[in-house]
Amino acid sequence: MATLATRARRPGALARWREVLLRPRTLVAAAITVVVGYLALIPLVYLLWTTFSDAQGFSLGGFARAYGDARIGELVGNSLWFAAGAAVLSLAVGTALAYFNVRTDVPFKALFFAASIIPLIIPGILYTIAWIFLASPTIGLLNSLLEPVLGPGTFDVFTVWGMIWVEGLHLSPIAFLFMVAAFRSTDPSLEESSLMSGATRVQTFRRVTLPLVRPALLSAALIMGVRSLESFEVPALLGLQNGIYVFTSRIYQVLRSFPVDFAGAGALAVGLLAVAALGIWLSNVLSRGHAGGTITGKGFRPRPIDLGRWKPVVGGGILLYFFVTVLAPLMVLLYTALLPYYRPPSAEAFASMNLDNFVAVFNLPSVPTALRNSLVLGGGAATIVMALMAVAAWVVVRSGIPGRQLLDHIAFSPLVIPGLVLGVGIAFVYLRSPLPIYGTLLILLIAYCTRYLPYGMRYAVSGMQTISAELEESAQVSGAGWWSTFRRVLLPLIAPALLAGWVYIFVVSFRELSSSILLYTPGNEVLSISIWELYANARFGELSALGVIMVLVLAVLVAVAYKVGARVGLKS
Amino acid sequence: MSRRSALASLGAAGLLLLSGCGGAPTSGPAPGSDQPTAAEAVYAEVDPLTGAARHDRLVELAAQEGNTLSLYTSLNADIADIVVPQFEQATGVHVDVYRADSETVLQRTLQEASAGFAGADVVETNATQMAIIATQGLTGDYEGEQRNKINEQFRYEGWTPTRFNIFAPAWNTNLVRADLVPHRWEDLADPKYDGILSLEVSDYDWYMTLHTYYEQQGMPAADIDRLFADMVQGSKVAKGHSGQVELLSAGEFGVVAASYTYLTNKARVNGAPVDDQPFVEPVVARANGAGLLRSSKHPATAMLFMDWMLNDGQKIILDNGLTPAVMPDGTDPLAGHQVLPVDVQQLIEEGNDWSARYDELVRGGEQLPEK
Amino acid sequence: MLTISNLVKSFAGEASRRRATAGRVLAVDDVSLEVGEGEMFTLLGPSGCGKTTTLRAVAGLERPDSGRIVVGDRVLFDGEGLNVPANRRGLGMVFQSYAIWPHMTVFDNVAFPLQVRKRSQRPGKREIRERVAKVLETMELGHLADRQATKLSGGQQQRLALARAIIIEPPLMLLDEPLSNLDAKLRESLRYELKRLQRELGITSVYVTHDQIEALALSTTIAVMKEGNVLQTGRPREVYETPNCRFVAEFIGTSNFLRGRVAAREGDRVDIDTEAGRVRLESAARVPVGAEVLAAVRPESLEISTTGWGNRVNEWPGTVTNRAFLGDAIDHIVRVGQGSLRVRGNPSVSIKPGTEIFVATEPGKVTLVPVG
Repeated sequence: MATLATRARRPGALARWREVLLRPRTLVAAAITVVVGYLALIPLVYLLWTTFSDAQGFSLGGFARAYGDARIGELVGNSLWFAAGAAVLSLAVGTALAYFNVRTDVPFKALFFAASIIPLIIPGILYTIAWIFLASPTIGLLNSLLEPVLGPGTFDVFTVWGMIWVEGLHLSPIAFLFMVAAFRSTDPSLEESSLMSGATRVQTFRRVTLPLVRPALLSAALIMGVRSLESFEVPALLGLQNGIYVFTSRIYQVLRSFPVDFAGAGALAVGLLAVAALGIWLSNVLSRGHAGGTITGKGFRPRPIDLGRWKPVVGGGILLYFFVTVLAPLMVLLYTALLPYYRPPSAEAFASMNLDNFVAVFNLPSVPTALRNSLVLGGGAATIVMALMAVAAWVVVRSGIPGRQLLDHIAFSPLVIPGLVLGVGIAFVYLRSPLPIYGTLLILLIAYCTRYLPYGMRYAVSGMQTISAELEESAQVSGAGWWSTFRRVLLPLIAPALLAGWVYIFVVSFRELSSSILLYTPGNEVLSISIWELYANARFGELSALGVIMVLVLAVLVAVAYKVGARVGLKS
Repeated sequence: MSRRSALASLGAAGLLLLSGCGGAPTSGPAPGSDQPTAAEAVYAEVDPLTGAARHDRLVELAAQEGNTLSLYTSLNADIADIVVPQFEQATGVHVDVYRADSETVLQRTLQEASAGFAGADVVETNATQMAIIATQGLTGDYEGEQRNKINEQFRYEGWTPTRFNIFAPAWNTNLVRADLVPHRWEDLADPKYDGILSLEVSDYDWYMTLHTYYEQQGMPAADIDRLFADMVQGSKVAKGHSGQVELLSAGEFGVVAASYTYLTNKARVNGAPVDDQPFVEPVVARANGAGLLRSSKHPATAMLFMDWMLNDGQKIILDNGLTPAVMPDGTDPLAGHQVLPVDVQQLIEEGNDWSARYDELVRGGEQLPEK
Repeated sequence: MLTISNLVKSFAGEASRRRATAGRVLAVDDVSLEVGEGEMFTLLGPSGCGKTTTLRAVAGLERPDSGRIVVGDRVLFDGEGLNVPANRRGLGMVFQSYAIWPHMTVFDNVAFPLQVRKRSQRPGKREIRERVAKVLETMELGHLADRQATKLSGGQQQRLALARAIIIEPPLMLLDEPLSNLDAKLRESLRYELKRLQRELGITSVYVTHDQIEALALSTTIAVMKEGNVLQTGRPREVYETPNCRFVAEFIGTSNFLRGRVAAREGDRVDIDTEAGRVRLESAARVPVGAEVLAAVRPESLEISTTGWGNRVNEWPGTVTNRAFLGDAIDHIVRVGQGSLRVRGNPSVSIKPGTEIFVATEPGKVTLVPVG
C-alpha cells in the first residue's frame, strides 16, 4: 500500500461537509444526542454544580466533609468489596447457567425462564426482606431449620457476605440474560474445532468459549459491578444494621440529615462516579482488540453438547439455583403473606393461615392507582428508552460519525448517579421549569427514562454489534434509504435485543424506589411506593401479599411480552 | 425518518432543554420573605373568629377554594388511612396525601419552597422537622380555641402539636416486683437493674433532654455521665421501640428505660403483662404537629383541616392508642405531670452531637439484633 | 459502461497497518478503469490490494478522497461534492457473506429492493410478486420462496444473493468474492452458473476475487491489482500469456522464471543467455542488448523428451529431480544448467527422478518480463 505524506486541501471539502451535515442520518444522530444528553446530563450537571459550589462559589468543602470522615476508608473498602463480590457471584452463576442453557443438553430448561426473570421481578426490597426472613441470625427460617444440627445463627445475612449473597443472586438473572445473548451469537463450530483439536470440554470452555464471549462478559461485569455499587436497598436493609456503610447508604444518610449537606452527598456521589469511570476504563482496556462473534448472513444451527455423566450433577445444580433464587424467597413471601403476623413455622402458624392480608391489600386506597401508574410508567419508560437507544446504538456502533463514542458515555452516565441524587436533581430542575411537569406522572417518566438509559443502551449496542455491517450495506445497495434500512433490516434484526431491553426496563421500573420517593405526588403513587409504605409501617403481612400479587402480575405480563416477542425478529 | 421530522424532534429537544434551564431559582416568592401572602391574609382574617362563625366562614371559603387540600405527612399509614377519610367525610373536602418519613417530608417541603412551588397546604410531621420548617419562615400563624388548650410548654410559633410522644419507663409486671418498679429516672442506674434493663439505640432526644434537665438541676456533668453510664452498664440495647415492647412483653428483659407510652399502652390493652403507671416523673415528651403553609393555595381548607384535627381528629388519635395534644374533653393529657419537653431548637442545633454521644454511650450495652 | 478515473481512497492509519507520515494509508492509489457494456470485469489481487475498496467505492459504501466514477452517462462521484448515496445508485451487489437478511423469507429478501423504492417508482404488489417469482425461477429457487432465508444451503444462499442483486435489473452488478464461502466443488459449478447467467442477462459486472482460476474462467477482462494500483488490464488469455511484470506472472498461474541478459535482438526475436542456457523468445519490447531481463515460461508450455528433438531453437538437456502426480497432469521438476524448470505434461508420461532428458518450448511461448 502506498502512503500519503501531505496533501493539499481536497477540492469540495466544504460541499462535502455540507452534504454530511444535512444528511437525514446526521440530523437524527444529532437529535438523539440532544435528547439523550438532555435526559442524562441534567442530573449530572446538577450533581457537579451542587458538589463543587457553596454560597461563595466554587468550593471543595463537600469533599472535605465527606472524605474527612475517619471511617471513609472503611466505606470505600466496603463498597468495592461488596460491588466486586456481587459482580463476581452474579457473573459466575449467570455465565454458567447461560452456557448450560444455550450450549448443552442440560435438563430442566423450562426452569431457566422462570429462574432468569422472577428474581428480576421481585423488587430489591422484597428480595432483601425475603432473605432476612430466611437468613437472619435470629428469625431466619434457614437458621431455625439448621439449629438442631449446627446450633443457632449459622447464617448471618447482616454482613458484607450476606449483602454480596443477596445482591449477587438478585443480579444473576441479568448476567444470565446478557450471557445467553452472547452465547447464542457465537458460532458453535469454533468450540467444535477446539474439541477436535483434542481439548477437553473444560479446556474448550476456558480457552475458546470464554475468550469469544469476552466482550459480552466484560460488558456484563461492568454493569453488574456498577449496579452493585449503586445498589441501595441491599446495603440499606442489611448493612446499616451493623454499621456497614457503602457509598449509597452513606449518601442516603447525608441526604436525610438537616441541614442537608448536598455538597457532601454530591462528593460521595462523585466518588462513586470516579470508581465507576475507572471500571469503564478498565473494561475498555481489557476488551480492546477482542472482537466478539457476529451474526452474519449465514445461519448456523447450534447443536447442544452432550453433558454425559455430568448431566445429573448439572441438573441438580440448576434445581438448587432455582430453589435458592426463586422458590425460597417466593415461598417465604407467600408464607408471610398468609400469616396474620410473622412467626417461625409451626403447626399453629400453619393453622392460623388465611387470606386476610390479600383482602387488606386490595382495600388499600392507593393500590389500584399505583398498579395502573406502574404499568403506564414501566411501559412508557421501556418504550421510550428502547426507541431512543435503538437509534443511539446505531449512531454509536455504525454511523461512523466522529465523536459518536461520546453519546455512549453520556447515555451511560446515569448508571453511576444514585437514584436518590437523581431524584433530588430532577426535582430541583422541574420545580423551576415553566412546563407543568413537576407533580405529574411525567416527572416520574423522565426520571425512569434517565435511570434506565444505560441499560437500554447496553442492550441495544450489544444487539447492534452482533449484526454484520454487510447486512446493512446490502440494504443500502438495494436502494433502501437510511430510514428504510433502519426500519426494515436493522430494527427486525436487533428486535430480540430491544425486546429483552424493553422487558428488563419494564420490570425494573416496577421496583424503582429511590427516585420515586422524592418525585411522586399524591395520585401519582407507584407500586414500589406502596411497598415502601408498608415496609416503613412494618406491615410485613400486607407487604408480602402485595409482593406476591406484584410478582404474579409481572410474571404474566412478561410471559405475554415474550410470547408476542417470539413473533417478531429472528426465529430461532 | 424524513428530514423534516428529524428537524422537528431536534426542535422539541431544544425546547425541553430551554425549559430546563429557563426558570431561575428566584422565580416565585422567596422563602422567608416578609411580604404577607394571600394565604396569610386568610389566616389573619379567620384567626380571631371562634365557634360556629369561624367554622361557617371556613366552610364557605373552602368551597370557594374548590374543597381540595394537599397534605404532606409522616403520620403512620394505618393512622393516616383513618384520619384522612374521616376528615373527608366530615367536610366533603378531597385530600391529596403525600406520605413519607419525616426527613423526606422536610426535604420535599424545603425544596418546593426554595423553588417557589406551592405543593403542600398543610405539613404534619415530627417536632424537629416542623421546627425547621417554621424557622425557615414557611408557615403562617394559626390561632384558635383548640390551640389554646394545648399544654403551654408546647405552643410553638408557626406550628401546632397534634399529638405527643411521651417517654416513660415500662416494665413487665410478671418479672418486676414492687421493689423493682422505678419511681425516678435515677433509679434505673441502680445495679439491681443490671441484666434486666433495656435501652433503645436511637433515643438521643430523650438522653439530651434528661441530661440537660440534670444540668439545669445543678448536677455536676461527671455525675450525670456516671448516672447514664450506670444505666447502660448491664443493659440490653434494642433497635426500634415497637420491637422493644414486644421483647418486654415476651420477658426478654424486665424494664425498658424510655418506652413510648402509647406503645406500652397498646401492648397492655392487648393483654401483655406490661405497665408504666404511675409515670416516672418528670415525663419526657416530644410533640408531633402540623403547620399551615404561607404559600398555600387552599388556606381556608388548610385551617379547616387544622381545626378539625385539633377537635374530632384528637379522638381518632386517642382511639388508636396515641397520645393526643388535647383530650377530646378539652383537657391537657399531660395535666398533673411534671413535663420535660424535648427542646426542638436544641435538637436542631446540637442534635448531631447528642446523637454521637448517645451512640458512644449505648455501645457499652449488649447489642440486640433488630426484631 | 463504468468509468473510474484517478480514484484515490485513504484510511486513517491503524496500528495494525503501515503508517504513513500523515497518519493515513492509501488503499486505492490513483486507479483508472474502463468497463465495457456487458463485460464481466474482474479485479484480481491478493488481500489488501485495494480491489474491495474500489468495488465499495463504486457501490457508494466508501467515500473516495478524489477521482471520478461514472456508470453509463451517470456521474456517481466526481470528487467535487457530488456523491450519490449507495441507495440511489441503483446498482446490484453480492456480498462476500451474501448478507441475506435472516429475518426475512426468500421472497422478502428478493422483493426488498423493489419495495423500498420511492412510491412513485415502486411497482405494484402484483408486479413485484411476478418479477420476484421470475427471478427466483431463473435462480432455481422458485420452490423455496416462502422459506426462511437462513434455512437455505450455502449454494442456495449464494443464488438468493444474486437474485436480490439482479431483481432491479441494474446497469451494473458488483460481486465481492461471492464464491469464497463455498466448498470447492460447489464453487466450480457455481462459477459456470455465474458465467452463464451473466451472459444470458447481459449485465455488466465487476467481480472481485483473489482466486486467479476464478478470474480466468469467468472474466472478459481482468485487472490485476497490487497495493492500491492496477498493474495490468487485459483479456484473461492476454494477462495469462503475456504478463507485464513478475508480480502478474507469479500471481496468475505458475511460471518458470529464468534470469538472464539480452544477447542479441533481431526485430521481435530476442535471444537471452540464462542460467539454463540460451533462450529465444518473441517480444515487441525494445530491450537493448546486454540488459538484464526475466524470461517466463508456463509449465504447460514446456515439452519433455527422453531422446531429444535435436533441431529445436529452445531445447535444453536436463535431469529430472522430482515429479508430482496431479490427476489430470503430471509435473516434473527438471534441472537445466543452473536453473530449475517445472514441466507439466500428460500423466501417461511419467519419468523417474534421475533420468537424463530434454526440455523444449516454442519461442512464442516464452514471455519477456521486465525486471523490477
